[in-house]
Amino acid sequence: MDAVTYPDDMVGEFIQRNLVAVRVPSDAKPLSRQFNVVWTPTLVILDQDGKEHHRTTGFLPPAELIPSLLLGIGKLHFEQERFENAISLFDKLLAQYAGSHSAAEAVYYRAVSRYKATKKAEPLKEAYQQLQADYPSSEWAQRAAPYRLL
Amino acid sequence: MAGKIQWEKDMDTALRRAKSEGKPVFLDFFNPG
Repeated sequence: MDAVTYPDDMVGEFIQRNLVAVRVPSDAKPLSRQFNVVWTPTLVILDQDGKEHHRTTGFLPPAELIPSLLLGIGKLHFEQERFENAISLFDKLLAQYAGSHSAAEAVYYRAVSRYKATKKAEPLKEAYQQLQADYPSSEWAQRAAPYRLL
Repeated sequence: MAGKIQWEKDMDTALRRAKSEGKPVFLDFFNPG
């Protein structure tokens, strides 16, 4: 991460604009024990109270870290029931990083956010169709499979 | 460099900044070597 990803200008600008960044050695207790850290890098998105909403383990290049962070911030908004904010972030991820490993999960959570915001099932069925078309081998296509029946 | 990241070194400071700036926290556990 130090050699490739963090020096990248787009990564740096994204983090500076959207997040407060903190680095902690993986053997720093009690924090590493609190977060069950056993391998590095472990990257976690937290809310302002320190509650975890998203994590990844292992190296990510710039083109994967930014969508992963967008996904994490979107999931934070989703879990705090700010669905319109979440949808906006998932839209941005899918517009700019549709080929990333975070994209299929963003399609899924965007649909669930739309459902939670509107109580209408159509977004879930649309997500199933999009996942089958664009990300058929992803686990999120499987997780959306029940929505084909809606 | 325009994109240089301002890393905090402890959680308390990061959480204080997060509340002040209205942002989430990005926590990186790294290998100290």
